[in-house]
Amino acid sequence: MVYPTHHRRIVEELMGGKFLLSNEEHFNSLKENEKFYAEFFKVSFDLELVMKPDYYYLLSKDTQENFSRDVSIFVAILAYELDRDGKNFTDAFDYHEFNFEEIDQYFDNSSFIDLIESNKTLKDAESRRTLLNGMSRRNIIFKTFEDRFTFTQAYKVFVDFAKDLALKRMKGETEQTETETT
Amino acid sequence: MIKAEPRTILNFLNTYFDVVRDLFEYQQQDGIITKEVYDMICHKHGPQMKSRLREYRVIRAVGGDYEMRDVYFKLMEFLLFEFKPLLPETIEKYKGAIAELFLKIRKSEIHDRDILIERIKNLSGQVREFVDLVERNAFRLLSETRDLKSNIDRVQYREKVNKASFWIEYYILPLNRILDVNHSESVTSKLVEVSEYANRKRLDYSDETVRNEYERLYVQLIQTNQDLLKQSKILTNELLPLLGRIRTESLILTGFIEFLRNPYKVETPPLLKGSRTMVYAKDMYFKVREFFEQFQVEGPVIVEEGVSDFDKWIFDRTLFKEKLAENMPVNDFFTWCFKALKKDFSEIETEKYFAVTGLLFDEDLQIDYSKKGERIEIKTTTSKLSVPKLKVEPTSKI
Repeated sequence: MVYPTHHRRIVEELMGGKFLLSNEEHFNSLKENEKFYAEFFKVSFDLELVMKPDYYYLLSKDTQENFSRDVSIFVAILAYELDRDGKNFTDAFDYHEFNFEEIDQYFDNSSFIDLIESNKTLKDAESRRTLLNGMSRRNIIFKTFEDRFTFTQAYKVFVDFAKDLALKRMKGETEQTETETT
Repeated sequence: MIKAEPRTILNFLNTYFDVVRDLFEYQQQDGIITKEVYDMICHKHGPQMKSRLREYRVIRAVGGDYEMRDVYFKLMEFLLFEFKPLLPETIEKYKGAIAELFLKIRKSEIHDRDILIERIKNLSGQVREFVDLVERNAFRLLSETRDLKSNIDRVQYREKVNKASFWIEYYILPLNRILDVNHSESVTSKLVEVSEYANRKRLDYSDETVRNEYERLYVQLIQTNQDLLKQSKILTNELLPLLGRIRTESLILTGFIEFLRNPYKVETPPLLKGSRTMVYAKDMYFKVREFFEQFQVEGPVIVEEGVSDFDKWIFDRTLFKEKLAENMPVNDFFTWCFKALKKDFSEIETEKYFAVTGLLFDEDLQIDYSKKGERIEIKTTTSKLSVPKLKVEPTSKI
């Protein structure tokens, strides 16, 4: 059997929890063989391949993922603070190069300070660096320098999550969608 | 019938502009001026005020309350640029009026010249009103949208979503349909049809007066189409994207704020858990083996001696100090330094020479200058140095 080009890299990276982005050379191989890979991951590992125009990623049924929650909180606070600062946060996520100092300023002066201080991955500059390194490993951000980064298109996962949540709440669906996770 | 002179009315409006503006604002806000409000506004200006407002037909009684007459209301709207956006349904009525007049113009053109001219003039009037309303509506919508974007009123994100959706659904999209020249039912497409007809008639109609009327109508319609195109571009290129953006961004922020209210109770986007190999994992043995095996096969290592293009000479101060002590007293210090180096090196660089001459700063040395001011010339590989003749000897101990 002949496997698609970059097969090993595609499998390894997706299985490592990475987002596969459209600017990467193995993206096209995955795109051309979407159907094969969707089936491959389902049959082999019972994982769902999420296919978006700009990125691919795998998801499992395990929803106890703290990393996703931490990133969601990080993105939510940053979007809120950027908007409060009079900036178009979607533009900033698409094009702006953030530096760590700027992030620290937003977080240290945020009105969500109680939440930030109670979260071990966000509570101080060093913890946030660790979270950002994790985000970089998963291709959610791209580190342009040691202390600078841009968001990749993968940030849209969290934006779509916010949109869905807002629509649900606006329709009056509240407690039903909440889990009992603590 | 108003007995007062027009200038008197304008003077009144000028003098009591604040009163008329207050009345306008109340009516604009509530749709009516209640008796209480009317009494309150007029009270401080004496009983004359009420009678003048009635006499100049500014105000009309409606039941127990009052309202500003339409002509004054429109004047104030115009003066204050305070237009309320009209629902496109209100603007669309012009399509009916224009289509009706156009139909009658075509039917009556061979029967009655006078009524034809009147209808052309009326059609022109309807077009003028239509364009005016479209322009005012587009302006107001743009202004409202920009206010919503800058959020001066501190509107909540959720309300912003609703507002933006409301403007898009009930105002912008219907107005865009009215202006869409490619839509056969739009007012603009009807105006294009009238314009084409007027263009033909201004050239071939038998009566000159009618021809001139068609000419005027045609010129007006050319300008109108340009103006409407401009308004349509504002709606499509600026308003719709801006409102769409406000709606999307506000929706996202609403979601984020909802999430941040209680982030540990909401299910976040599921992601794949990063794989971590535990020491008791089935494939641990193979992974460890793979890890160590990468070090087993070592490629040939070739060490090349670097060809340094400079001599790594390090000045041994102690050695040279001892040499100097052996030769004390030295009558010509700088020549001694040169000779001392010359014993080891065939060529002497300035850098080495300076290093040795540094011994001169030793506190144990006593330095005597030649009274004649004699100077010695020293040649290094790169420089020719002119130095004084110095005698050095150990410091005499008292």
